[in-house]
Amino acid sequence: MLRRIERLLVDLSILAVIGLGVMITANVLIRTLFNSGVPDTTFIVAELMVAAVILPMAATTAARAHIAVELIANQLPVRIHDGLIVFGSIFGLLALAPLIWAGWREAVHAFEAGSFFFGELHLPKWPGRVIFLVGISFCWLRLAIMVITDIRTMRAGGNLSGNHPEEAA
Amino acid sequence: MDGTLVGLTAFAFLILLLGLRVPIAFALAGVATIGTFVIFAFRTGTFSPDRAFRPTSSLVFSNSFDLIHSYDLSMIPLFVALGHIAYRAEITTRIYRAARVWLAAIPGGVAMASVVGCGGFSAITGSSIACASTMGRICAPEMLRMGYDKRLATASVAAGGTLGSLIPPSVLFIIYGIFTETSISSLFLAGIIPGLISLLGFLLVIWVWVLRDPSAAPVEDGVTSAKERLHAAIDAWPAMLLFVIIVGGIYGGIFTATEAAAVCVSAALLIGFAQRRLTVKSVIEALRETVIQTTSIFIIAAGAKIFVAFIALTGVAGEIVGAVQAADLNVVVLMLAIAAIYLLLGMFLDPIGIMVLTLPLLVPLVEGYGLDLIWFGVVVIKLLEIGLITPPVGLNVFVIASVVGREVPIDRIFSGIMRFLTVDVIVLALIMAFPILSLLIPNSM
Amino acid sequence: ETTLIFGEAGPNRGARAASTNWFAEKATELSGGDLKFDIQWGGALFKAGAALNGVADGVADMGTVISVYFPQEMVAYGVADLPLKNDDAWVGMRATDALMRNNAQIRQNLADKNLVYIGTFTTSAVHIGCKGTAIRSVEDIEGLKVRGVGAYGDTFKDLGANMVPMSIYDAYQGLDSGLLDCSQGYSYATAALKQQEVINSYTLLNWGQVGGLGVLMNKDAFDSLSPENQQALLTAGEGMADELGRLITADNEKAIETMKAAGVEVIELPEADREKLVETGAKYVDAWMERANGSGLDGAAILDEYRALIAQYTAERDEKGYPWTR
Ligand code: NA
Ligand code: NA
Repeated sequence: MLRRIERLLVDLSILAVIGLGVMITANVLIRTLFNSGVPDTTFIVAELMVAAVILPMAATTAARAHIAVELIANQLPVRIHDGLIVFGSIFGLLALAPLIWAGWREAVHAFEAGSFFFGELHLPKWPGRVIFLVGISFCWLRLAIMVITDIRTMRAGGNLSGNHPEEAA
Repeated sequence: MDGTLVGLTAFAFLILLLGLRVPIAFALAGVATIGTFVIFAFRTGTFSPDRAFRPTSSLVFSNSFDLIHSYDLSMIPLFVALGHIAYRAEITTRIYRAARVWLAAIPGGVAMASVVGCGGFSAITGSSIACASTMGRICAPEMLRMGYDKRLATASVAAGGTLGSLIPPSVLFIIYGIFTETSISSLFLAGIIPGLISLLGFLLVIWVWVLRDPSAAPVEDGVTSAKERLHAAIDAWPAMLLFVIIVGGIYGGIFTATEAAAVCVSAALLIGFAQRRLTVKSVIEALRETVIQTTSIFIIAAGAKIFVAFIALTGVAGEIVGAVQAADLNVVVLMLAIAAIYLLLGMFLDPIGIMVLTLPLLVPLVEGYGLDLIWFGVVVIKLLEIGLITPPVGLNVFVIASVVGREVPIDRIFSGIMRFLTVDVIVLALIMAFPILSLLIPNSM
Repeated sequence: ETTLIFGEAGPNRGARAASTNWFAEKATELSGGDLKFDIQWGGALFKAGAALNGVADGVADMGTVISVYFPQEMVAYGVADLPLKNDDAWVGMRATDALMRNNAQIRQNLADKNLVYIGTFTTSAVHIGCKGTAIRSVEDIEGLKVRGVGAYGDTFKDLGANMVPMSIYDAYQGLDSGLLDCSQGYSYATAALKQQEVINSYTLLNWGQVGGLGVLMNKDAFDSLSPENQQALLTAGEGMADELGRLITADNEKAIETMKAAGVEVIELPEADREKLVETGAKYVDAWMERANGSGLDGAAILDEYRALIAQYTAERDEKGYPWTR
């Protein structure tokens, strides 16, 4: 289930990147050819950026694509190395938790205050904040599940750093 | 509670966590969040955590969200996408075939061409990260396929990407100009010679590398005919066209550097579909790789931004600059101290963050010594560029790492980077010792 | 002794920075050295778009808030950004300051957001610099590629300009490459951003200013201070208008000289054309009023009060001159 949601979030992020490209290209073409433009491009692009960057966080986590310094870890025995991977995920849970709470506060605040961007369309500020909250929350959920399954794998004598059971699932 | 103490402790914890293989984004964000909380909780002298929740939450949210919620940075996912799409449309293969045919006789020729290409690309777009994103996808895999040493294939592109800010136009120079009230066009002109020297330095590294270890860059055997060369060059037209679009569009006033990214992606898609080399499926796959790569880079940058805000709160930058000021150093030692501060911060933080933290404090100090602010700007930008490829947090290196995936581990890339860093330090010393290198062009205009 | 954290998104250079420093020194002096300031420049703590929540949540105790970024939350302050034929920096600041400081409705509205008003800045009068073209009449605006902000930008668009989205940092490059024909600005900033290097005409519009920006303080932090220290902050904040007025007027004059020396033609827009600008912009004043009413304020009353204050301070200036020339 979570895997399907992650896939959906990545697909939405891909749509956001397509949206960025189409929106900006259209703006350039309309400006060059018809001396006009798409209203509020800057705000729409910025909101799409949040979707493009934050929504794939859970999938990035599942693919173990977070960048880390492996120099020391690689010199250590496999068990300890795997232990560090789990520790990294647990620290990630700690690091992301405040962002979830903060994202929730900001999304609610932007919605209640009726905040909007000062452009032609008066676009509301809450969608980007809600997207941020959704992306981080699912990343947190994925991390939590990874911590549990990784510990199980280690207990069963398997290793984390070699193959990627997550991706096979 | 003493802010400086909290700041230095946080740096120590950050290094420890990075060493323990905690993902970089989590380490930066987590340490900064905890540090921020501690500072706010102790603001009144006694420990009152209930006062710390709101400001901490607000600080971590706004600094991470505002970094991502950016029109200007839309350039980065789009240039990443350009790399992936051009790769699948075989645009990159063709330009590499041409480079191979033309440069076959020169040992390491393709790596040199990549660095020059990077210089050109970053010169135009003004962003080092955008350059590494696109050129990384284009150059590194092709060099690996040709049997280049993995360190050379990746490090040359990561280093080449750092030319982006010295060679005009450059976002960093514009921000520097605003903080120092110096002429932006003078700064742009001042960056040209140091930028070219850096480029020559990188070419020299490759030359010496391949001279000492010819197996690092396999040379094609067999002489190619003039006809073959011509065919290879003609075949590479889509890449040439993209280059013409970027250069013509930006300098011709048709679009901005930010918009150039989107226009090039659209053009690459048109070419790819027209030549029947792209399918809807392959484009989606390219975009899937794009978003995963973009995310892993951006969340590190967001973590670094939170860390910058936390460091601002600690006042540690002010303490260090104050200590330097109080020491009443002679000008040579002063410049060495400043270089040390930038190199240290550059190990962990992003260029704009470092400028915002340091310039308001350093510029009056430097002015007090009667130093030329244009020259100082070139020194600062060079130092910041070096920070993009120094371990443990080197954004350009991470960009390349996320392109090549598990084929080349990050520490291998950093090990290749060391040779380029050596030359960078020599170039930096030259720029610092001979202000004329920076000031010649602006002063003669 | 209390150290207050001050968050500022701009650099530590230029007239606004000088005015901020003046405020900090004045408040320190008035509090007998009890209040100290830790000013964080360049958005090190929060960018302009996060300033309102940053101050309300206490990331900084006080900071510069620009109303354009918060058209809903800071709607009352936005009155100072309207194209109202309000082009004198000092008059505009004095009127805005008096409105924000004394209007009970606005004070309550800010208090509900955990904010206290301290003092006001302005960008000073909105003008426009162009490359390869010149705006000598309102008709000249049609077909130009323009970077503009707020209701002024909207009005340029209504007059046939083609708006190009671009940050103020990119304007230099945009003008240089020809992507932009003109960029809206204000004299001292145009010179500080070195735009005289790339423009060849600069038209004085004498139309209005972007005046809805100033220092707001976290209400909890304000309430925790002694009454004497609170008064010190308020008094120093009130003095900012006079100080910035002096600085900005001098800087703007110097900027015009710098532009002329760089070969930029400085053009004064004829009175009739200025009227056309004001007329075309009028609908944005109405739109503002609706927004103000929509958020529970009396838009018409605020606008009337503001107009009366502009008239009052214009009369004071005409009669006595600026405070620094008296
Ligand atoms: Na550049
Ligand atoms: Na670094």
